[in-house]
Amino acid sequence: MKLTRRDFAAGVVAGLAAPHIITSARAQGATIKIGMCAPVTGPAAESGRYAIQGAKLALEAVNKAGGILGKQAELIIEDDQTTNPGIVLAFSKLAAQSDIVGFLGSIRSTQVHAMAPDVLKLGKPVMIGGTDPNLTHMGNQWLFRFRPNDSYSGRVIAEYGVNTLGKKKWAVLHSTDAFGTAGGKALTAALEKLGCAPVLDQGYANQSQDFTPVVLAIKQSGADILGSYFTFENDLGIFARQLRQLGVNIPWVGSPSIVNITALKLAGPALYNTYGVADYAEDSSEASKAFGKLYRDAVKVAPDNQSSWPYDAVTVLAAAINKAGSTEPAKIREAILSIKKFPGAEGEYNFDQNGDGLHGYNIVKNDKGNIVFDKHIEFND
Amino acid sequence: MDLVLQLLFTGIGIGAVYALVALGFVLIFRATNVVNFAQGEFSMVAAYLMVVFAVDHGWPYWLSFLIALGGMALLGVIFNLGVYYPLRHRTFLPVIIATIGASILLSNSVLAIYGPQPQVLQGWFETPGIQLGPVYLDSQYLLIIAVTIALVIFNYWFFEKTLLGKKLQATSQDKEMASLLGISVSTMIMITFIYSAVLGGLAGILVAPVLFVSIQMGSTIALKAFAATIIGGFGDVAGAIIGGLALGVIETFGAAYISVPYKDGFAFLVLVAFLIFRPQGIFGERVAEKA
Repeated sequence: MKLTRRDFAAGVVAGLAAPHIITSARAQGATIKIGMCAPVTGPAAESGRYAIQGAKLALEAVNKAGGILGKQAELIIEDDQTTNPGIVLAFSKLAAQSDIVGFLGSIRSTQVHAMAPDVLKLGKPVMIGGTDPNLTHMGNQWLFRFRPNDSYSGRVIAEYGVNTLGKKKWAVLHSTDAFGTAGGKALTAALEKLGCAPVLDQGYANQSQDFTPVVLAIKQSGADILGSYFTFENDLGIFARQLRQLGVNIPWVGSPSIVNITALKLAGPALYNTYGVADYAEDSSEASKAFGKLYRDAVKVAPDNQSSWPYDAVTVLAAAINKAGSTEPAKIREAILSIKKFPGAEGEYNFDQNGDGLHGYNIVKNDKGNIVFDKHIEFND
Repeated sequence: MDLVLQLLFTGIGIGAVYALVALGFVLIFRATNVVNFAQGEFSMVAAYLMVVFAVDHGWPYWLSFLIALGGMALLGVIFNLGVYYPLRHRTFLPVIIATIGASILLSNSVLAIYGPQPQVLQGWFETPGIQLGPVYLDSQYLLIIAVTIALVIFNYWFFEKTLLGKKLQATSQDKEMASLLGISVSTMIMITFIYSAVLGGLAGILVAPVLFVSIQMGSTIALKAFAATIIGGFGDVAGAIIGGLALGVIETFGAAYISVPYKDGFAFLVLVAFLIFRPQGIFGERVAEKA
């Protein structure tokens, strides 16, 4: 037989490619893959980095403990560019990989809304951090939430202000965007339920340069406590400074942005002695403390909810697959929903039939710039 | 009465910020017949330059201030050569679009370097403000008002009493005639861009301790400043000042007595009313003559 130049070339190519193809084919079944949409670029790139770190730390722990169904777990990350079209594209890329068994979506409700139709179409479990209550109440059985939804934050603010601080005359201040309006409504409804209808319900437009009229309205209302839902930290910073400058020193319990690192930096002493609801508080439980230590040691920055929810999401997903003994989506779903009293960094997970894992918030206090855990308020409904 | 005085002070303070940025709009419009939509970004860039030098490097505030204004003068030169000059013989539309492009470039460049988180810049004074009877006077707003008054006086002196000011005025009124009289039109336009960039930068540095330093700080102010220039009479220096102050006071009182969420709406409601009933603005005669 005569070996032609073409035969020789084909042989060389086949010889070079064969080991790679065989390794690749072997590898396909060698790991359990989890897909993650994260903002690697765009305005939230910084927090996206924390989210990825949180997920990776959980993955390391899972693998150290024996992996998922006896195999090592692997994280496949796609950049969502911090935009809605970006996350739709990222999710479609991940969804095209049939061996991915579960996914991590976004902490931003708007992005989860954008990807939700594709999630429904794919029919595989997606862990989310977005807090819009509707996300788990719109008939999409594949979304599982790893942060308490916004309906709880309003109730916790009201509960804490009325029953712990003993204040009855409330001024409610909120942004007029979707988040602020929903939060303000939830807080007002919770206060009315407690018999303390607000004496002032005040909305404001985002990116306001001046809050003097708002502060003067609070002053004139005679309110003895303030509850707030701010969307942007710069608005919160401007308001906090003007509130104190104009001599209003009533107790203030705010939504999570009040304890956000950027808000603390911008407002400084104007936020001292205020209270906030926080889904992650390092001292709230042993599991939270353990995550905090692990994260600090590995990443060298303070842990927050950006990293804690992906940590919990990977941990719970791995536990659910192990419990289900299968990577079949319906069985994983059942296993997640059956998870009760699971200690996570964000709190104790008790999944309800809607896919909400957490049902309460922590109250933290700004003690001269340090955020300290005060108490946890949990609801059973 | 206390409430009215407090609102009046705040309204004038915030109005003075609009007025400072509006001045930059007006000067460039007078010189080139073009609206510079990157005027707000000049404010933002200057505020970030202050963060770089005064906060990140810890240099003295006054030195950082001078460097930031120097940087803005340089930006004015680059802006003129890169955005206006190549398109100077075209109609106003391509130039306006180029200024919008420059505004996007500037904000995204700063975003790429500094990220989206707002930054803190301390004010000039240690004391945040003084209590004068029932009214709290924010020291930074006091400074902004004082600088605005000083600039009004300076502008009057510069444009009416100096040869360079008169040359700039001549250029803005009739470029061909100015050229025939031996005035270098391109130099005058260059000086106008430098002065406008410095003015915009000054507004940004002054307002940064109050509104914080953020990517969108310039565009938020510029939108109101643009409305102020129309209310005052496009192309009129006094109109920009009066328009800015009026806008600040109207929106502050509107927010206090009618509705807070619609605060921005009052400013633009006034703008629409002017466009319908007095499109030339408060001091509009000069624009009509020019047209």
